[in-house]
This record gives sequence, structure tokens and C-alpha cells, in this order.
Amino acid sequence: MVLQSAPHPTFSEPACGRDLSDCIVEARGGMVYHNFLKKVSCYWDFGDIKVDFYKGQVKMAGEKEQLYGERLKRYVTAMRNEKPDMIPIRPFVAEFAAKYAGYTCQEVTHDYEKAFCAARKCASDFDWDAVVGNMVYVWTGLTQAIGLKYYGVPGIDVPADSGFQYREPPEEEAFMKPDEYDQLIEDPTGFLFNVWLPRVSVEVSAMGEATTYRNNLSFLKGGMAMLKYFSSFGKQNELLRCESGTVSAISGILKAPFDILGDKLRGYIGLTMDLFERPEKVLAACEALMPHLAHVALSGADPERQVPITIWMHRGCVPFVSREHFDKFYWPTLKPIIEEILAAGHQVLFYAEGDWNAHLKSFAELPAGSIIYHVDKGDIFEVHKTIGHKFCISGGISNFLLSYGTAAEVREWCKKVIDGVARDGGYIMDASAIIQNDAKIENIRAMTEFTREYGVY
Amino acid sequence: MAEKKEPMVKPGVCIPWEEKLKELPEITGDEQLFRRVWEDNDALAYIYIWHCLLSF
Repeated sequence: MVLQSAPHPTFSEPACGRDLSDCIVEARGGMVYHNFLKKVSCYWDFGDIKVDFYKGQVKMAGEKEQLYGERLKRYVTAMRNEKPDMIPIRPFVAEFAAKYAGYTCQEVTHDYEKAFCAARKCASDFDWDAVVGNMVYVWTGLTQAIGLKYYGVPGIDVPADSGFQYREPPEEEAFMKPDEYDQLIEDPTGFLFNVWLPRVSVEVSAMGEATTYRNNLSFLKGGMAMLKYFSSFGKQNELLRCESGTVSAISGILKAPFDILGDKLRGYIGLTMDLFERPEKVLAACEALMPHLAHVALSGADPERQVPITIWMHRGCVPFVSREHFDKFYWPTLKPIIEEILAAGHQVLFYAEGDWNAHLKSFAELPAGSIIYHVDKGDIFEVHKTIGHKFCISGGISNFLLSYGTAAEVREWCKKVIDGVARDGGYIMDASAIIQNDAKIENIRAMTEFTREYGVY
Repeated sequence: MAEKKEPMVKPGVCIPWEEKLKELPEITGDEQLFRRVWEDNDALAYIYIWHCLLSF
């Protein structure tokens, strides 16, 4: 008789993210008998999985746990800018995972369990050391519950098999008006609740307006959905570990104060105008955001201090702004946050979207080993020359090549990057940017297999 | 380099306990218990709005 359900309360506790009975079925290759379970004492060893019946826990002890340990060590060693046994592979696969697992973009964006499943399938089928539990990240079920209007949702606003989009409003409809800086500066949290949220949500009523049923539901549904979604990452991380020995690559989110102003408040055009028309307000607003952004980043950080907080860097670099503006606004209001995070014992992954090479010397001011610098459009060889002695580097494999090149061309470029950047360790294999569904499966496989063949120290 | 200025309402807080306390009758039981639970729940609201801004 195949065990389908937990026969005893002890067995109903979640273990490795699932019912204990499920783990037993897997560990035994699909067959297990009730009378076997009746013989339970306190501990049983299934090879890969050890079951502690007293605590209702599954302990990984076999091949997968060993693999997990090896991968974690490899990944962490590289991130500390040291030389591991081989180059760790940590692709940030987003909509690519949907394509590989047979889902549409709509499915993985609107049903996060499918996104989780796709990420686990990639992690299991490819020989990767670390992945993000859901790099698509945005769950449009949640954003719809809140009523956020700046998303282009697959299957509604964009085709069902296109990735979701952010829609920036025109300058005159910016979510924060130019004369509202003082309100933001005085109380950022209050401003977000009272001014910003009613503008970005089609459901939330503005202060002073009559409240509505939809307004009330937005907070209830949004809050419950966010709790449900964030809580589900714990289970996802455990499943990655149990099923394929894969490390969850990052924990905690950070954005620069300047980028937040541009992305979600004033918009890029509005912010760049403000840099000339009210620069003192821009600086004061960045300063007001600093303690909150540091707090949120640390609140999501890895308690074991192994995997990094990630900063997603957007439009604070040349040529979006001048070098002078970077030096005056972006870096002075980001660096203290990074230093606070470092003081708490965490590394920071600089996910430098675009080309930030004009600012490498600023980043080099940070202590050795404190960050991992991810290269997108920047010249990775220049990055290595300028900051490679201090920091681990990741990425640099062109997304264009992964989409439109051949497997041979991908191998050739990977060799060039490994030869130029990874000789002494301190390098993590990844694409330049998040991998979407335009990437060819054979090219991702080529990147993986070549790194495993050639990237052994 | 900018210095982090002390905000009017601290990070992690929407409605400070001190403000809530003024609305309550005299507490005869364990005030710290009331405070801890208030602050724990208040922090969830804080996380909600800041993740709306940062993550979504």
C-alpha cells in the first residue's frame, strides 16, 4: 500500500517543505507500507534522508546534503574573492525557467508555485550551485490584490508569453509631485501610506476621500497575500536543498535612495530635472530614505551571513546622470547604507544593471571582500583590472549571445571570460542580466557544461 | 558623505508605542507585553508598505 497521507500527528509536521510521508515516498522510490511505519522507534535512515520521528523532522544526510555543502562552500568561497574547487555557477534565471519547464510567462508571473516549480526543475536538471527561488520575483496575484497600476501584466497588458513590464508614468503624472519633497523628507513611511500608495493603486482611496469596500479589501488582501508569498520562500529554499542540493543564492533586498526616487516616486525625467531645479531637496530626500532602506535590507538578510543582500542598481550611473551627480547624490547616500550592512556582517551583491564602469573607483573605496560585483554591460575585463583584487565578480556572459549566438560562440566567450577574470578564483558564472525566455536552452546548457569542464581549479 | 539623520518615525515603525499608549487607560498588567506585541504587528505594516515600494 502506498502511503498517501500522514497516519499519525507526528508525521503531519512540514519537513523539507512537505509532509513527512511525501519524503518517505520519495526516499523509498515510491513505495512504502503502513505496517513499516508502525515499527517506528525514534530515528530511521533512508540513505539520502534521515527521519527523526520524535521531532517530526527530516534531516538530509546523504548525497544531496553533501552536494549542498560542497556547493555552499564553493559559492561562499568565491564570494569572499577566494579560490574554490571550481567556478560556481549561479544563473539568475527568470522567464527562462518558464520556457525550460514548459510554462508561459503568464503562468509563472501569476502562479508563483509554477515559478517555484520551474526554478527547481532548472536547478535539478542543470548542474548549478545556486539559484534564486523565484527570479521572476513579481507575483502579479499580489500586485493585483493591492491594485498596483504600474505593471504590464502578461496575458492582460502584454502577450501571455512576454515578461511583465514596469510602466513609468509621464512626467506630469509622476507618483510624487515636485512640491512634495518636504512631506517625504519629514516622514517617509507616512508619505508612502498616505500619498504614494493611493496614487499607485487603483483600489486605495486618497486621504480625505470616502473610503470604499475595494480600499479596505486592498489592504487585507494585499497584506495576507504578501505574507503568504514571502513565507513560501522558506519552503522553496528547503526544497531546492532537499531535491537538488542547490543553494538559495541571495537574501534581502536593497535599492539606492536615488534609484528609489527615480523608479517609484519622481520618475527618471522628473528626478533629473529636480537635480537642477531643487538639488538640496533631492539630497535631503535621499538622506531621509537611507535609514529605512538599510532597515529593510537587514530585515531580510541571511541570519547565517552566508549569502548576500542584493542591491539592484538602476539609473544612478553615467550617462543616466553625470559623474558629478553620481558623486554628489548617488554614492554619498548609498555608501553609508552599505557600510552599515557590512558592519552587521553581511556581504552585498552589487547587481550593476547597465554599465557602471565609470564608477568603479568609488566602489573600490569599500573594504576588500565586502561586495560581489555583478557585471552586465560593463567591460568585465576592465572591472577585473580595477576592482578584481578586492571583490568577487559575477556575470559578463552576454544575454544577446545567449539568445542569438550559437553554443560554440557561448563556449568561446565563456573561455575568454574565465581566462581573463577567473584564474585566481573570485568569479561566479552567470549571464550579464537576468535570463529571460529569449535565451536558447542549448546556449544555457553550453554555458553550464563548459564552465564545469574548463572551470576546475 | 551623507550621514543618516534620525528620522521622525524610526525605521520599522508606523505608529510608535508611545503614541498608542496615550490612547489606552492605565495598564494594570504587563506593559512590556502589550508593547512588544503592538510593535511586532506594527512592524508588519511597515514591511508591507516598504516592500510595496522596493520589491513590487
